[in-house]
Amino acid sequence: MKASIEWLKEYSDIDVKPTELGDILTMTGSKVETIDEKGKEIKNVVVGKILEIEKHPDADKLVVTKVDVGTEKLQIVTGADNIKVGDIVPIAKDGAELPNGVKIKTGKLRGIDSCGMMCSVGELNLDLADYPGQIEHGIMILDKSLEKDLGKDIVEVLNLREDIIDFEITSNRPDCFSIEGLGRETAVSLNKEFKNPRGNLDNLEVEDKKEIEGLKVDIEAPDLCYRYIARVVKNVKIKESPDWMKRRLRACGVRSINNIVDITNYVMLELGQPMHAFDINSIEGKHINVRRAKNGEKITTLDEQERELDEEDLVIADDKKAVAIAGVMGGLNSEIENDTETVVFESAVFYGGSVRKTAKKVGLRTEASSRFEKGLSAENALRAVNRAVELVELTGSGEVVDGKVDVYPTKQEIHKIKLDVERINNLLGTKLSKQEMIDILEKLEIKVENDVAIAPYFRMDLTCLADIAEEIARFYGYDKLDTTLIKADTTLGVRNKEQKIIKKVRDVLVDSGLSEIYTYGFISKKDLEKSNISEEVQKYAITLQNPLGEEFKLMRPTTVPSMMQILATNANKKNQNVKLFDISRNYKNTNHQVEDGEVPVQEDILTIGMYGDDIDFYVLKGIIENVLEAISVNRYDVEKERDNKSYHPGRCANIKIGIDVIGTIGEVHPEVLQNYDIGKRAYLAEINITKLVKYSRENKKYVEIPKFPAVERDIAIIVDEEVEVGQIEKIITKKGKKLLESMKLFDIYRNEKLGENKKSVAYSFIFRDKNKTLSDEEINSVMDSIISELEKTLHAELRR
Amino acid sequence: MKEEIAKIKENSQKEINSCQDLRQLSDLKVKYLGKKGELTVVLRGMGKLSPEERPVIGSLVNQVRDELDELFTQKEKELNRKELEKRLETENIDVTEPSKKVNLGSLHPITQVIQEVEEIFLGMGYEIADGPEVEKAIYNFDKLNTPPDHPARDLQDTFYITDDIVLRSQTSPVQARVMENQKPPIKIICPGAVYRSDSVDATHSPVFHQVEGLVVDKNIAMTDLKGTLEMFAKKCLGEKTKIRFRPHHFPFTEPSAEADVSCFVCGGKGCRVCKGEGWIELLGCGMVHPNVLRNCGIDPEEYSGFAFGFGVERIAMAKFGIEDMRLLFENDVRFLKQF
Repeated sequence: MKASIEWLKEYSDIDVKPTELGDILTMTGSKVETIDEKGKEIKNVVVGKILEIEKHPDADKLVVTKVDVGTEKLQIVTGADNIKVGDIVPIAKDGAELPNGVKIKTGKLRGIDSCGMMCSVGELNLDLADYPGQIEHGIMILDKSLEKDLGKDIVEVLNLREDIIDFEITSNRPDCFSIEGLGRETAVSLNKEFKNPRGNLDNLEVEDKKEIEGLKVDIEAPDLCYRYIARVVKNVKIKESPDWMKRRLRACGVRSINNIVDITNYVMLELGQPMHAFDINSIEGKHINVRRAKNGEKITTLDEQERELDEEDLVIADDKKAVAIAGVMGGLNSEIENDTETVVFESAVFYGGSVRKTAKKVGLRTEASSRFEKGLSAENALRAVNRAVELVELTGSGEVVDGKVDVYPTKQEIHKIKLDVERINNLLGTKLSKQEMIDILEKLEIKVENDVAIAPYFRMDLTCLADIAEEIARFYGYDKLDTTLIKADTTLGVRNKEQKIIKKVRDVLVDSGLSEIYTYGFISKKDLEKSNISEEVQKYAITLQNPLGEEFKLMRPTTVPSMMQILATNANKKNQNVKLFDISRNYKNTNHQVEDGEVPVQEDILTIGMYGDDIDFYVLKGIIENVLEAISVNRYDVEKERDNKSYHPGRCANIKIGIDVIGTIGEVHPEVLQNYDIGKRAYLAEINITKLVKYSRENKKYVEIPKFPAVERDIAIIVDEEVEVGQIEKIITKKGKKLLESMKLFDIYRNEKLGENKKSVAYSFIFRDKNKTLSDEEINSVMDSIISELEKTLHAELRR
Repeated sequence: MKEEIAKIKENSQKEINSCQDLRQLSDLKVKYLGKKGELTVVLRGMGKLSPEERPVIGSLVNQVRDELDELFTQKEKELNRKELEKRLETENIDVTEPSKKVNLGSLHPITQVIQEVEEIFLGMGYEIADGPEVEKAIYNFDKLNTPPDHPARDLQDTFYITDDIVLRSQTSPVQARVMENQKPPIKIICPGAVYRSDSVDATHSPVFHQVEGLVVDKNIAMTDLKGTLEMFAKKCLGEKTKIRFRPHHFPFTEPSAEADVSCFVCGGKGCRVCKGEGWIELLGCGMVHPNVLRNCGIDPEEYSGFAFGFGVERIAMAKFGIEDMRLLFENDVRFLKQF
């Protein structure tokens, strides 16, 4: 909301500079966005009169002029072609400054001295629309009457100096969406008297009538329209508004149209109540009905756009048609025309939620709708319509008909709140006396009677004690509030199990050389397809109603495509040796939870993505093993997985605990790599942290360091290529029983001598008994049982 | 025989003294003191001597043997030392050559800021709470005093899945869930991803991160909020940081405030980061609205509380001097490695 300081001064004395005023109001809650000190940047630009125009000897497009600037006559070279001898124009003299930062200096143009510049409307930072008859690319031609002001500062002559403050108005303060409201805040903030220039409206008696000039009003939808007041003006003279009104409208960013429309806008700015004016003759049957729109009902609004409405929308209608979308915009069919004779001024209050919905739906967020949607005072509506007709009289725009048609089905509630001094002090942490509180409240026109605060009609936001406390805090000063620390029982601040695990995982991965990434949960169907995600998982994806675009349409059921995308970004930038991890969520509608109004499955997933020279499946596996060890997950199986289409079918494994798959690791499927245009092998891991939490058992206990010696034995066996070392190790572990302390696979090799499809696998074992030194016989017996089981089950052949 | 012994002693002493390496020394030891060594041979020949001479010669041999032993030991030590000196000399390295290491990875700037904030509040006795990102509208809005017709529920700002399920537009629904399930005292912070319908540009992202805080207990006052945030700002942004409260409005708090901190780049003098104002808008906060407490089953007559919330990306960007938010989500490893 823009407000000129000149207008605010009508409400309060202002004896501080604009920036200081801005700071003070910001600290009392009317946040200042910008301060526009209009005309301040224009320096040394004066009124001049063109005496001569001659051709430039060396340039076709330039002319050499002589200009009278009162005290002297200047020679100015210009390229403008809209000037003639005798024109009065703005002259930027030597040393002048313009709003665009340009400084004017005497110089030569194509060899001819030029001692200044004639200015265009744009160069003075003025709006063409405010100066009818002026052109964009040309010099601003001033009124002949200004010849008397030759040499005078243009800022004074055109009255360009004006300070305009733009406020951010919060949604709870529709009253501050007006100069009156801001004026009240200004007066209280500066500790000045609120001058209340519109006080005459407060208790104005206007007779209620059933009809005026034949106009009747009905509210068919009282749930959406709380009050509708109409007043009528006869013998209207449509004309331009007076300059003072145009100027104030302009300061608030509103364009002048004609006196009647301007009055509605002026009242809206002044009092915060949007108004509507229409030609009484365009109302069929002279009967206003405020009703819900019919499904599919159409209306062409003042901006000449046809809008389609439905039963949720409210319209102002006559007997046959809608003439306005309530609270949003008037209809073209009832617009004020130049020959309009009788005007109806409407001042109404609608249910904010409905106005907001309708404005949103038809795509028209107007000055009016943005006020109505916050909920307006029905009491203020009457003041507004009376102010409008007052302005009609003041500007000689027509003849006001006595009385009003006022339909007011739901009287505005006046809120009364008990002033509990102790609770307010407890809430704020202050020690204010009751009288101090009352003093602040009464300045804000909140009356206190018998310890009850009575909110004024324009403060519908005040409904509970906390609201009153905020008013007191605002004007006591937020900056005066102490800084204290909570006085309460000690509480424990510790991470829970999952949070500890996630922190640990991050640490291990950073130590292993991985960098953390952050990805969006959004994804497209195409992304899922590019990553070869199975149909089953794709079905879990959740569709947004209002996505930012096709590529952000789904919530991802798996993190794989997000990681693939980032790997692709890095590959595309030719980054070498990329090792990344991400701890974020998947979102899975596994069981139609979303349709049933429940939240979907959302799990924390660790995703790893890597490519580079020294990276292969086993590097990735090692990282995962370290992660699991670090978070005390000690028993798990790594099992070959051939059917996950995102991965290379020969190089993929599931990590399982019992039958629970807690993750998948492997090389990315060549097709997927191709889809992402990644020219080298890449590796992926997905580990479900949410599932892991229950398997993490921190149970560290000291085991005695062995006293008896260990015995080392090696074996090498030849097995078929398909035999996995995991199978071999299971047998070794089983048959090694308690004596086998550890084993280490130290060699795998293949050659022709072994035969096709064969490999040799070599282990070294460490045997130990914690109670005695082992004998050869004991070890031989265990070795024999291992070997014979390997031979039996895996058809292994012992190499000797 | 005495002469023979004296000669052996003289020869051996000469040879030992001129010996240059350990192997030679060990050969000498064999030569003189070994089983077939010269001195041993002398000892063996003692049988031929008269009983009177035997002890004399015997003791002489033993004396010489002991002397030689000592000499060998000394020499061995000396040679060992020389050898070590030589080795140490040859094993000289260039300590400025590159190291052999596993390069460390890096935590994302967003995580770094969140962890720093977490540590500060854990230290003040807060727990960390978490909740769904795809959330019920009732938790994201209704319970937080934002009824169905409230402007904050606009389709324009919030991503909807259905009319009842949204992507949370703030981490406050976690607060509502905690209040519903836990009796006061409550002291939590809720870090996490939130979603708003903003197009991606240098200062906006449809996904960003917030940390919100909530305290509910008996006699919690607005001055406590100010003190808590001042302490947080000093710990997070530097001990000289000042904090300023301005009145504001949020549906879920009353009274509400926006808090500015003195610019941690220029210290309040005015610079590019604070746009010359000396203050940077840091967060929104306020006293929990009685309706919110009531909606979550807490009696506002008995308890009061405060809440605050801020954007992590903005702090990370200011702290690390990152000017384009898109860098945070592009994840170019050359960017990530800098943190």
